[in-house]
Amino acid sequence: MNDKKGLLSSGLSMVLHNKRYLVWFWLLNLTLAGLGTAAFSRTAHALLDHSLMSDRILHSFDIATVTEMLIRPEFGQTSAMSTPGLYFGFVFLLATALFLPGVFAGYASRYRLPREEFFRACGRNLWRFIRIMLVALLVMGIPAGLLFALNDEIVKKAGESTTETLPFTVQMIGFFVIFLIMSTLRIWFDLAEADTVLSDQRAVRKSIAAAFLQTFRSLPRLLASYIASTLVAAIILVGGVWFWMKFIPPGSIVRAFLIAQVILFLLLIPRFWQRGIAVSYWQQQMLTPVFAMQPVETVPAPVIPAQPVPEPSPVIAASEVLPTNTPQS
Amino acid sequence: MPTRWKTVVPITMCAVALFAFINRKTATAAPQAAAAPAMSASAPAVATDLSIPDTTAAINSSTPLSQRVVHYDINAKYDASKHTVDATEVLTYHNLTGQALDDFPFHLYQNAFQPNSTWVREAKRDGNRDTTYDHWETKLYGSEEIKSLEVVGQGDLTKTLQYIAPDDGNKEDKTVMDVHLPKPVAPGDFVQFKVVFHVQMPETQARSGWKRDFVLGGQWFPKVGVWWHGAWNCHQYHAMTEFFADFGVYDVNLTVPQNEVVGASGVEISNVNNSDGTKTLTYHGDDIHDFAWTASPRYKVQESTYQSQMGPIKLRFLMQPAHWSQVQRHEWITRQTLDRFEKWYGPYPYKTLTVVDPEPDSAAGGMEYPTFITGDSSWFMPEGLHFVELVVEHEFGHQYWYGMVATNEFEDAWMDEGINSYTEAKVLDSILGKDTSMVDLIGMTLGERGGQRLQYTGVADRDALAQNAYDFSSFGSYGGNTYGKTATLLLTLEGIIGEDTMARAMHTYFMKYRFTHPTKEDFLKTIEEVSGKDLRWYFNQAIYGSQVLDYEVLRADSSQANWYKEDKDKDKDKKAAKNDTLYNSFVTLHRKSDFVMPVEVEIKFDNGETVREHWDGQSRWTRFNYQKKAKIVSAEIDPNHTVQLDRNMLNNSYVVEPNHRPTWKLSNYWLFVTQWCSQAMAWWAV
Repeated sequence: MNDKKGLLSSGLSMVLHNKRYLVWFWLLNLTLAGLGTAAFSRTAHALLDHSLMSDRILHSFDIATVTEMLIRPEFGQTSAMSTPGLYFGFVFLLATALFLPGVFAGYASRYRLPREEFFRACGRNLWRFIRIMLVALLVMGIPAGLLFALNDEIVKKAGESTTETLPFTVQMIGFFVIFLIMSTLRIWFDLAEADTVLSDQRAVRKSIAAAFLQTFRSLPRLLASYIASTLVAAIILVGGVWFWMKFIPPGSIVRAFLIAQVILFLLLIPRFWQRGIAVSYWQQQMLTPVFAMQPVETVPAPVIPAQPVPEPSPVIAASEVLPTNTPQS
Repeated sequence: MPTRWKTVVPITMCAVALFAFINRKTATAAPQAAAAPAMSASAPAVATDLSIPDTTAAINSSTPLSQRVVHYDINAKYDASKHTVDATEVLTYHNLTGQALDDFPFHLYQNAFQPNSTWVREAKRDGNRDTTYDHWETKLYGSEEIKSLEVVGQGDLTKTLQYIAPDDGNKEDKTVMDVHLPKPVAPGDFVQFKVVFHVQMPETQARSGWKRDFVLGGQWFPKVGVWWHGAWNCHQYHAMTEFFADFGVYDVNLTVPQNEVVGASGVEISNVNNSDGTKTLTYHGDDIHDFAWTASPRYKVQESTYQSQMGPIKLRFLMQPAHWSQVQRHEWITRQTLDRFEKWYGPYPYKTLTVVDPEPDSAAGGMEYPTFITGDSSWFMPEGLHFVELVVEHEFGHQYWYGMVATNEFEDAWMDEGINSYTEAKVLDSILGKDTSMVDLIGMTLGERGGQRLQYTGVADRDALAQNAYDFSSFGSYGGNTYGKTATLLLTLEGIIGEDTMARAMHTYFMKYRFTHPTKEDFLKTIEEVSGKDLRWYFNQAIYGSQVLDYEVLRADSSQANWYKEDKDKDKDKKAAKNDTLYNSFVTLHRKSDFVMPVEVEIKFDNGETVREHWDGQSRWTRFNYQKKAKIVSAEIDPNHTVQLDRNMLNNSYVVEPNHRPTWKLSNYWLFVTQWCSQAMAWWAV
């Protein structure tokens, strides 16, 4: 158990002991996004491959040339290029919902979870996860919409001020508050997901209710852990893109691809870390013992009457058998 | 009371002294009367005691630079709490039309900001850069009301005033007012109007009005039309038009609250505090055709001097407090721009230039008035984003292409915005680099030429340039054509007549037509005269027509001349003489659209040989055939990249062996964004 460890360290430990999940999710993410990008690539190849002008894209990033390509009628609507990416993004979302129960099971397991157990967990919990996801979308979506609308109103009001930076500051504060609220709700549903899988709870409402109580019982601790992992994600993204822009030459395709994929792989860690935190918390606070503790009844040992011990006959002195400095084991 | 007298006496003395000074100057002025032709009207009114001042206080010249037609003497008081101006205007008009005039149309521009005005109707229909008018509260409207109008010697004509709508007949449009005089004004004579008016400034619209505690007084006073080519030119205010006015002298007394920091056209003559908590600033402008002002209690001011070819110029920067760190950027680009314009086009003769950094999130940014421009910035403006530089340069350029070469912005918008966009590209390219003059940020670049082309390519087949600004099909077409297409076609013209010749033509045009109202033909003929070339074929298509230029390399390929031989025989031949294989090659060029223009094409072969061909472009397509011991590597139309007007440059070249790397690079970006968005979606949803 992780009862002696902090949530962050135990959650991270689970992620690092199950790195294969990261690799598989990254591969899934890459494959689906690759399919989503295919339409763009095919059209861009047709427009650029035989044109000398495309060199302006390769050796720098000439906005005019890129825009010129995007607005060509042959290129079609930009939305037509981005829609497949959106669809495959949705597929990735569903795939995440499908495979996540296995990840929870793997994180909670003391041993390396066999493939069949992983997929059994996925199969058993798929419909439960879809139900949780729908509830989460409702519970998170409505407040998110209201909060963003409220934030817009406040920013508009701040815009009447003669302090130019005030609207931006207010907006950032608003975003941070929304982030905190959304993170809290995300914690709630992460715990619910963990509970559903690890308790094998068919009635997801019970998991959602239990997770709700636990979320608000330990909110500071859980929220701090989630914020810390989100900060790590932000650092990975900003630092990675900065490194890419700074150190990868514009014409180096392979290196650009590699750094992009490293960033995206690393970006998966914080979210899996959060799931590790949820599992760890569940193990520490929500794990219900399967059997109730019973007092152990012991039969008293039979009393053997004391016998007089015969005196040994002193034949050889003890010191002659064992050296005095011999360690006693 | 004693305190009050201490204020009143000096003000009175100053006013008397100023009046005497102006009168002294006026008295020495030689009347600029044109020879009076025979008059058909009976007994025209004669006002011989009037004149236009020949003052030079605001210019670095001892003599007037323009033919001064008007003198505006305005006393205005701004109420900052109500955003209103109450003013009296004395307009002296010199009739240099050669004929008697009894009708005088006046622009009342502020009446455009009413729901049923032509301006707002068009803005809702065709688009607008400021607002969609989805929600527009009454308190945000603008208006301009004439309280009284008197013509000296002819009495009060207030009751005879009527609104006219010469362009669209919109009876609810009140942006043009007609004043009919009982007695005509004789040719060469003067007439004086005394107007009392009240202006309700709108919340900023079209570079005029208030925002929070800021105000920009642009197009704020009744302004007489221009007698041009034998008729009054006084269009209604349209959503896509700007302005047109005669040169003259402006004397403006502006009374504002004492806490306001003020900037205005012309030179500041005096600044006197009044006992009622206001102050009166007096401005004087020579050889200008408009007067604008701004006030805000929060401006931070920087002043410096620039030594121009004609004398010192006082540079004044009125900055938003949050942008104070950008004041050096504003000053640097102003100085660099002044330097290029004076070297390339001609001298800047005025004694002042006020650069205003207007209220953020207002519709006051990026505007030109004589000796007064507004930039546009924000508190976050990375140095690699050259937006500050672009706007300041552009608006300064208007001091030449609008301010001095005062074309008709209603009818020939391309001549001020377009020519100015062309010089913007030239000037900014020379200052900030050809490929980076707009953006040079985290590996992304955008040059002026590319930026101007992009504006135009999307609307290339929509409108001809030579038409009224208000007749364009949409706001996008107006902007893309007048700014982007003009700049692009003039850059293309450089390739036809040579860059140096084009530079000489621009210099000649400025020097010849400064302080006048040239027509499009004046400009085009100047280019033809300087270049010594007949360019009608080009102007007819690019300016008078809406033809689209698009050439492409349709195909380029090579095949072995001995293709009919057996493969093994061919292989033998190859071995015998590795570089002796003969190829039949061809390049097919295609004129995809209706703009006909001769072009060059450069064909490269794999033995390093380069061939240049000329095609007159008359037919729809042409083919060049070669038989060489080398294969074609690439073919490129316009290898010097001078034909900027070509709508699609991606098809101007053809590389036989495809180069996939640019697409891979873009696809990698696309893939990264797609993956990241997928992850983000999954982060929150499950």
